[in-house]
Amino acid sequence: MTITHAERTQISYNSRGYAEVLDFVYREAELLDLRRHQEWLALLTDDVRYVIPVRVTTAHTLDDSVMGDMAHLDEDRYSLGKRVERFATEHAWAEDPPSRSRRYVTNVRAWEGDEPFEFIVGSNVLLFRSRGDIHEPDLVSAARSDVLRRVDGTLRLARREVLLDESVVRMQNFAVFL
Amino acid sequence: MPRDIQGILDDVRHGMIPAVVYSDGEIFELEKQRVFARAWMFLAHESEIPEPGDYVVRRIVDDSFIVTRDEHAEIRVLFNMCLHRGMQVCRSELGNASHFRCPYHAWTYRNTGELTGVPFHGDAYGGDAGLARSGVSLLSPPKVDTYAGLIFASLDPSAPELATYLGGFQFYLDFYLRQSEAGAEIRGPQRFRVKANWKIGAENFAGDTYHTPHTHASVVDINLFAAPKARKRKEGALYFAGTGGGTTYKLPTADFRENLLSIGYPDEMIARMQAVWDPDHRAMVGSSGFMPSAATLLPNLSFVHNWPIVNADGLVAPFISMRLWQPVSATETEVYSWFCVDRDAPADYKAASYKAYLMCFGSSGMFEQDDVENWTSITQMSRGRMAERLNLHSRMGLLRDDEPVTPPIEWPAPGRARVGFGEFNQRELLGLWCDLMANDDSPSVTNGARRRYATVS
Repeated sequence: MTITHAERTQISYNSRGYAEVLDFVYREAELLDLRRHQEWLALLTDDVRYVIPVRVTTAHTLDDSVMGDMAHLDEDRYSLGKRVERFATEHAWAEDPPSRSRRYVTNVRAWEGDEPFEFIVGSNVLLFRSRGDIHEPDLVSAARSDVLRRVDGTLRLARREVLLDESVVRMQNFAVFL
Repeated sequence: MPRDIQGILDDVRHGMIPAVVYSDGEIFELEKQRVFARAWMFLAHESEIPEPGDYVVRRIVDDSFIVTRDEHAEIRVLFNMCLHRGMQVCRSELGNASHFRCPYHAWTYRNTGELTGVPFHGDAYGGDAGLARSGVSLLSPPKVDTYAGLIFASLDPSAPELATYLGGFQFYLDFYLRQSEAGAEIRGPQRFRVKANWKIGAENFAGDTYHTPHTHASVVDINLFAAPKARKRKEGALYFAGTGGGTTYKLPTADFRENLLSIGYPDEMIARMQAVWDPDHRAMVGSSGFMPSAATLLPNLSFVHNWPIVNADGLVAPFISMRLWQPVSATETEVYSWFCVDRDAPADYKAASYKAYLMCFGSSGMFEQDDVENWTSITQMSRGRMAERLNLHSRMGLLRDDEPVTPPIEWPAPGRARVGFGEFNQRELLGLWCDLMANDDSPSVTNGARRRYATVS
């Protein structure tokens, strides 16, 4: 999976479009940090696909380091909705008590998408997640490749692929979104 | 002061488990010698290495193995340590290779394990007079065998044959891995580390139906299941046979086809199960009406089968997952979680089943997330001085005089089964663990090095 799109037209850092993209990814990260999941869901398109493939250690090159047929998450609107609905129950122990988490989103670049109302967006994300008072906090580093689509005048997330930098995940679960 | 191991094992056998068994380093060191170096340990599934040259690298605790298919399609298990200076020969976790070359001095091995290349062989070693290459191979574990595509190894040359070891549990593997003549294909694994002792997950999958109504209340709350009562768990049977045991759900009818249809299997898959399974398999799912759910094979391989709703239209899809509780230390486990599906299943079924798996188990599964929360906490709590004073109550299903609360039921399959909640399976599993732990005959280790190198014919 490559984040750089040499064949696409990159959106200038000074443009209004880039400012909109940056505003979207920062706002989205804040909603996830605050665990305002319903509002986060509202940022997704109805046909959203959200994938975190399994990363593997391979010889010579990183080109084949993503497992093609196995992911940690491979979600659509229904399954993301169920996960969010679960957090609102009184029995979602994996996030009750909730984690304190912070997403640091950097290296944001945007390109023109396949459609005039779409952006391709690449970013890096570092998640800090602390739970309870015993265990060491988790740090998860990843790159993201997104498709943002303008729907009724506002940007929505239509697709996200998260490229983890770990093959063996040290965080005990994906009860948080990247 | 060293632990009173015999006293601990006596308590475990009595169903009163000293909490320290879930975090004590001395016990873990003993497990390495007496459990993991003796038992048949799962390494990989044949479908992970379908083509000649395909390999995966797996571990048995501290030992790394290359599991590969050579050019004659034979499965090879090679200890991943160079014969020369001990470097790890293969350091990627999967791939395709005819040879493995050590990064240090370039000793090279064919994927059968045979040494084929030694740089400057003549100058450095005087050729075959100093170091004969023929007949020299990477080490292999003393025993390797397969069942239903599962590749196992034992580090104990005197281990019983695999079929003997599995005993009656072999029958139950067919529900997960032999749903047709073609057998299963395995995808993954997801690998993630949890700060929990390896035994806790193994015990849970072997028989803990009692945790489902509360630990997993959330998935019922969000209507993930068509038959939503978690309390139904107590209507299922718990069975133990050979070196493994598991849980079942009670199905709605006494008809094989109806029952499998009700949990989402399409007719064409049911027809293949009908053809490939024995009458006893069919009776268990049909006339007896029990469908396997979770199970554990001694020591650390578990299975799970369930059938959630996978889309907004209410489609029910079954999934099967297999997981290895790979011990890292007394207090840490690396979970390897695979998705298993019948190779001949239709493509739309495979897609729905994969979705079902990801929603329920593995690194993001809505069941597994909450399980791990419990297991890490148990491990942490068991480390303290007060925990030294506590024996955990694992006697569910037994009266104080050791008489069972309910008798075994009529059971068409191997082993013994009971309906209702009980910790029979966890006690059986830990009883087998005690048998291994109590045996202080160290598995024999034959070092064949002198024989390998000394004689030049």
